[in-house]
Amino acid sequence: MSIECLLLGAGQEVGKSCVVATIGGKRIMFDCGMHMGYHDHRHYPDFARALALWGAPDFTTAISCVVITHFHLDHIGALPYFTEVCGYDGPIYMTYPTKALAPFMLEDYRKVTMDRRGEEEQYSYEDILRCMKKVIPLDLKQTVHVDKDLVIRAYYAGHVLGAAMIYAKVGDAAMVYTGDYNMTPDRHLGAAQIDHLKLDLLITESTYAKTIRDSRHAREREFLKAVHKCVSGGGKVLIPTFALGRAQELCMLLDDYWERMSLKVPIYFSAGLTIQANMYYKMLIGWTSQKIKDSHAVHNPFDFKHVCHFERSFINNPGPCVLFATPGMISGGFSLEAFKKWAPSEKNLITLPGYCVAGTVGHKLMSGKPTRINLDKDTHIDVRCQIHQLAFSPHTDSKGIMDLIEFLSPKHVILVHGEKPQMAFLKERIESELGMPCYYPGNNESVSIPTTKNLKMSATERFITSCAAEQGKRRGHKGNLVCGASVSEVIGSSEDMDVAEGILLMNKQKAPKILCDDELAEVLGMERHLVQFEPMVSRIEAAVQSELQRAKAADSGSEGNE
Amino acid sequence: MADPDVLSSAYPAAASSSVRKHPAPLDDSLAASSDGGPSFAKRPKAATEPPTPGGSAASPEVDVLALVSLTAGIYPLARAEALRGLSEVVERADASCSVGSGIVECSYECAVELMRDEDEGVRLAVVRLVGACAQKFSARVDADANGYGDLMDIIFLQLSFMARDMCTQVRIEAFSALGKMQQVSEGVLLQSLSKKVIKTDTMCGSIINGQKLPPKLKIPCAAGVFSHGIEDEFYQVRTVACQSLGALAKFSKQYAEKALDLLMDMMNDDTRAVRLQTLQALFQMATYGCLSVQEKHMHMFLGLLVDTSALIRDAARKILGLVTLPKLQMFKSAVDGLVTSLEKNPEEQDLYGILFSIGKNHGSFSANIAKHLAKEITMASDGELILDKPRVKALLIVSISAPFSNDKHKKLDIPSAIFSHAISLLGKVSCALGDVNQDLLLSYLCHKSGMPFWENRSISAEFGESESCSVQTMEIGAHIENTAKATKCVDEAIVMQSMKAILETVEGAWTMRMSCNICEVRTILRTCKEELNVLAESSSGSIGAFLSFLCEYLDATQLIIEIWQLIQLDNSYTFGLTSVEILLEKLDISIRRMECCFVGLNRELEVQVLELSLIAHLFRLSNIGVCKVVLGKLLQVINRLEGLSADGSYELSGLSGEIKKAFDDNLTGVNLISNIHTLFELFRLKPTTDFGMLKAIRAVLQVSDNDSENPSSYVSGLPVGVSFNIFLWNISSHHKLWIRMTIGESVQFTFLDFSCFGCNDDMKSGSMVAPLYATPMVCSFVLRVCLVMECPYGGNSTHWGGHGGPSDCVVQLSDELDVYFVSTWQS
Ligand SMILES: [Zn+2]
Repeated sequence: MSIECLLLGAGQEVGKSCVVATIGGKRIMFDCGMHMGYHDHRHYPDFARALALWGAPDFTTAISCVVITHFHLDHIGALPYFTEVCGYDGPIYMTYPTKALAPFMLEDYRKVTMDRRGEEEQYSYEDILRCMKKVIPLDLKQTVHVDKDLVIRAYYAGHVLGAAMIYAKVGDAAMVYTGDYNMTPDRHLGAAQIDHLKLDLLITESTYAKTIRDSRHAREREFLKAVHKCVSGGGKVLIPTFALGRAQELCMLLDDYWERMSLKVPIYFSAGLTIQANMYYKMLIGWTSQKIKDSHAVHNPFDFKHVCHFERSFINNPGPCVLFATPGMISGGFSLEAFKKWAPSEKNLITLPGYCVAGTVGHKLMSGKPTRINLDKDTHIDVRCQIHQLAFSPHTDSKGIMDLIEFLSPKHVILVHGEKPQMAFLKERIESELGMPCYYPGNNESVSIPTTKNLKMSATERFITSCAAEQGKRRGHKGNLVCGASVSEVIGSSEDMDVAEGILLMNKQKAPKILCDDELAEVLGMERHLVQFEPMVSRIEAAVQSELQRAKAADSGSEGNE
Repeated sequence: MADPDVLSSAYPAAASSSVRKHPAPLDDSLAASSDGGPSFAKRPKAATEPPTPGGSAASPEVDVLALVSLTAGIYPLARAEALRGLSEVVERADASCSVGSGIVECSYECAVELMRDEDEGVRLAVVRLVGACAQKFSARVDADANGYGDLMDIIFLQLSFMARDMCTQVRIEAFSALGKMQQVSEGVLLQSLSKKVIKTDTMCGSIINGQKLPPKLKIPCAAGVFSHGIEDEFYQVRTVACQSLGALAKFSKQYAEKALDLLMDMMNDDTRAVRLQTLQALFQMATYGCLSVQEKHMHMFLGLLVDTSALIRDAARKILGLVTLPKLQMFKSAVDGLVTSLEKNPEEQDLYGILFSIGKNHGSFSANIAKHLAKEITMASDGELILDKPRVKALLIVSISAPFSNDKHKKLDIPSAIFSHAISLLGKVSCALGDVNQDLLLSYLCHKSGMPFWENRSISAEFGESESCSVQTMEIGAHIENTAKATKCVDEAIVMQSMKAILETVEGAWTMRMSCNICEVRTILRTCKEELNVLAESSSGSIGAFLSFLCEYLDATQLIIEIWQLIQLDNSYTFGLTSVEILLEKLDISIRRMECCFVGLNRELEVQVLELSLIAHLFRLSNIGVCKVVLGKLLQVINRLEGLSADGSYELSGLSGEIKKAFDDNLTGVNLISNIHTLFELFRLKPTTDFGMLKAIRAVLQVSDNDSENPSSYVSGLPVGVSFNIFLWNISSHHKLWIRMTIGESVQFTFLDFSCFGCNDDMKSGSMVAPLYATPMVCSFVLRVCLVMECPYGGNSTHWGGHGGPSDCVVQLSDELDVYFVSTWQS
């Protein structure tokens, strides 16, 4: 048996994650994402090509199930297209939070692209709703029997609210697809968590295949120091951020710091943020970090103590404050408005998210130290404020990837969702340090992984008894040896395995059975025969000749040593 | 492989039945002891139970082999239980004998094989076992030195690997085991801080340029284990990681520096318990002198000083009081931070003490502050400089601390104006110095400020009633440089604080003794003793005496726990019968030293010692059975305890009360022995911190002009004189001292008459020549000499060999010296 892995996306690139694994006749699609960097046919995975390859009449018969790991568009963006346009009608699995949050992400994006480019509509809002209706929600560690043979289970992945790693098993063949994950917890999400599983294959993301990040504490410290310095100097802090995730993370950090330092400077959330945060996080508390889970009964950590009521006019108020505003890349909206007001004063501070799309104000600020930004022909902003680059990321680093692989110890590893040179580097490390074969196929390439097959068999009582006696003897021997031995020998000798000898009897009608060699005749119901040979002189001569020659060869080979 | 969920539900039932149903896997000799399988582990605990007939003859090796074979079973619960059994055996094993070390090695090997077990419970048991083995290994490394360093490194890396486990419990256990590791090479320690793999040569653990390199990292995820630990999702893990992170700092300077960076980051942790633990780790590092604060850490420290939690503020201050800051700027910002803290929390007066000690630790920086302050004072017209301002008060304290600093080589001149202003802060200053005599202080300040000092004049009116000082006639000259004494006082305050913390730990450890984790208790006690020793070495006077008393006390405690364990075991397979006796003898000596070698034991301390000796006598009874002599001694102790409680201000403790009752009920001793468990339960370890005017009796013995290169000559068979220089501390005329001289088996005592010795405060000194009457008929020999003291409570007066020596109850006062002799008649 084998696992056939076809990459429809995220092969040697970051974007449109989509992997189809075929295990024992079952075809599972992991993630169904879009690539936001392309607007041509590369935008979606090449479903048609895959269908032709499989030679199936339609997607519903070709694919047993679709599993989505989390709500990021590069993991779910193509799902409405796949179901409503391509016509897939089979089961779709995702976690509760993903199911709750995905429609908003999808609709947001649909609107943005339509407004911006007037692109032809790939799918409508109704399509999204119809698609989401078909979704079957998953709980963590819940074992779902998709059908008689296929079992899937979700594990906590960190990364974003509701992100999961997926375990899939058909017969004896088992694999894990990680999606995006984070091995270190942050303030609001826990670290990825998975059991020791016997795996033939692990498909892991490799966004940071080569980077080892320093500790989160250092990043937090730098951030707090910058903010504290700014507000104690009477300045204003603008934190442009995405609506979900990072905003809550940073606000928890600040809220806690404010509490400890008993700071009185107000923290504001621009309107849209508070509503979303409270709604989702309070609802999905079970998916957050341990600390939050422990404490939310007493105090919901998303009811921020130091966050004050905000009105747009406050932007003109004097005195220090901290403002969270969307959108994250200062591409417009309220964060741009605040930026225009505050950037000219050197007392103020603007933080920038880790990644900004080219063309946005955020991107301009990141590249070099501009003193003036031209919004359009008539509007210029003088930038004299401090700028602090945030370095938070929800992805695991290369150390985390290695740690997960080492912990799971799968027989094979496939890297996806990364950049080719870095993946090559990581593959090298995995093969040399962990001794596991590793692949990083490109898009539309496939890899075949052999799997183990366990065979159930019975054994005769005599065989078990003799094995056990043998084992006991060996243990005893080993023990004696160890008592007198030096430590180095002990460490070296940990490799030996107990070996038992017997005969495996396989018969078409009956289950296979192991027995001792002297039991064979009895089990087969046959008598013991003795065969004797008359020695033949010519054979013996030939044997002696060849023996002599071999000895001679050996002699000449070892002369140097004498 | 079956579905794990399904399997795990089937475990509990299957595990126990499988062991019983199939005795076949083990051959006959093993079957007897392995039949009880998992329950074996509990056997040593039930001490009073008679040994089971089947297992009585079994040596621990057989047990170990049986357990080892069980660890290879297919049921995880059974595997875990077998590993726990091995841990129990290992903890009791004596690694210094070959059987014991064989057991430890065998168990370790077994644990390593199961490091990647699928079951969490098994992995948890593996970590515990590896941790226990590591401690045994390191004990052995002490004994026979070289070759095992690599092993400790390997174990450290293995534990690091386990510390990356997905199971929280396993991580906690692994981090706590890491913190107890010893003899780990610096490279491995450094690797534990950095996620990036530090490149090393392919040569495994080789020594290059005298620096030991770590073995090639075979487990990549062992790298940076502490970086991971402090980022862990669970605060329990983070707490233990911080603790261990700090505990290892004493082994390497470079490591300590880097660990500090990590620990400083923990100050922003969202859980207060973690922040407190971090501060404790820092305090420990500061106590060991391996905390070097840098500029980048200051922001964090200053934040801590104004934290909303009083506990955090307090802990942060204590650390600041111990560290040395390399730059004036940092020093100033630290002082400013303390001032801000004082302004925000004016009720926290201990801050003055910290200000004083931080000033004292940075003499020249304080002098700088003083100079500026003096300028400020002189520039300000009368009303402007208000001494009530916390800032000015604080700066004054810092300024006057400068002359107390250790930078003696620098001449620090503090403007006299500072001292004259400090006079008005007399109460605060004396409080900062830890209740130093205010009169002394006043005269000192007056002298420094150049004021005339009036004899016999009550200045109390100027300072308010509470600070009344009736100044006696004192020679100013004698107190001019009282700096040394005052410095000591400051140290005392700090020493007292750390001592109290240590004693709390000891009490905590003692309550753990019943929970059978003896090994851990032992480790805690050992560390506490080490810490006390460090403190004792740097202090003198009453507190120094008390610290050495406490060291002795901890010694005794440790012995008690050790003996108790043996008595409980009632099983001498790892220890000969005599080891209890040896330990008892040690305990006796230890108690005797506490009784005799200190002058001015107050009642609390005396009761403490007597209670220890009650326990010692009880142990002796249980060891040798009913004995008149021991019972007599026991009665003596009880009578003394009763005498102490006679005035009614003190009540007999539960233990003494119970024993007294037994005596009142006409005891035979049998009931005491049979009740020993209950009695021992009654014993409370309550070290007091009130030591009054305790003084330590000490002696130093020197032999003039003699060493192995320069031996004294003698004529064999004839007497020879040995000349000694003797220094005695706190010895008074009623003490009976002897010089003990030993050659091989034969001993000679010479009574020491020190009435003619010169006397200086607490110290007497003099020299004398002691005759050695019978020199051996050899061409050279080594004489071992030391000073001993007769115990006042020695009791019976049986004399040593009838030669009129001291009573048989003596304590050794000085170290033993070797005196070398060479015969003048070369044969
Ligand atoms: Zn993602």
